[in-house]
Amino acid sequence: MAVTVYCWLLWLYPGSYRQEFGEEMASVFRRARSELPPALAARISFYRRELCGLLSGALRARLDRLFGPAIPFRRFDMQPQFRFPRSTVFLMLVIFAGTLLTIAKASSIAGDISGSVWPSLISVLILMLLTMCAAAAVVWGILHSLRRSGAHRLENVQSWMYSVESSGKR
Amino acid sequence: MRSLLDKSNPPVQYDFIRHVGTRTMETFALSEPVLLVLLSLAEQPRHGYSILKDVESMSAGRVLLSTGTLYGALQRLLNNHWIERVQEDDTPRDRRTYRLTSLGRRNLQMEIERMRHLAKVAALRLARKEA
Repeated sequence: MAVTVYCWLLWLYPGSYRQEFGEEMASVFRRARSELPPALAARISFYRRELCGLLSGALRARLDRLFGPAIPFRRFDMQPQFRFPRSTVFLMLVIFAGTLLTIAKASSIAGDISGSVWPSLISVLILMLLTMCAAAAVVWGILHSLRRSGAHRLENVQSWMYSVESSGKR
Repeated sequence: MRSLLDKSNPPVQYDFIRHVGTRTMETFALSEPVLLVLLSLAEQPRHGYSILKDVESMSAGRVLLSTGTLYGALQRLLNNHWIERVQEDDTPRDRRTYRLTSLGRRNLQMEIERMRHLAKVAALRLARKEA
């Protein structure tokens, strides 16, 4: 019964992944299950772990397939060289579609705008710019306080310079 | 004290290399399950179930991998050429064996070196605090 459910859940993975690893995964699950201790707690823990692992693995495989392995999950991203992330292409397309929609919307209401509207439009744009700058400053401040802004890495530049100097002396 | 540490431990530059150098992402910290999978394969080629049991035994029962996690890790390691499948004609499809590649072994050694350095720094810091 459990193996059948496991095999059904394997359908959550992309087809290529299932073809490559599905049979192997089911076999390992079958074997691990057959060697479970009789204690109920151990069995519950095993099924919970397998379910969580399967669901997160399937989600990860699906996201990898959609966006490429560019989305970092913990410390698991292992690209030996730079690859252009496919997620960037997706985001660029979304931004492009948004821009086209805005232009289409603006051209439909262009006739309603009279000359007197421009000063208020400029002030609104300036206000928006200032708001965005303020928001960016707040986000940067939060990232900096979490030591995620990259500023603290400047310390490493010194140690690198030192190592270059010391290797030069050698 | 910091300069003393830097002089005795040049590998402090790891982080810098990771973000700027040409060998991008080769010197980053591995997650514990991935590290244990690599260590398991460092000794000898193994199949999935054997890796699962070996990881459990190496971590004294602390790290229990699920099959989903194990094969997620194996897929990534295969894609990045850190491990490879052992080609055996008579092996059934559900008992394929994996082994470390030379790239995987080299990266594993770098990771161990990084951890050794970290442990050394930690010991120095703790000793200094206690003194």
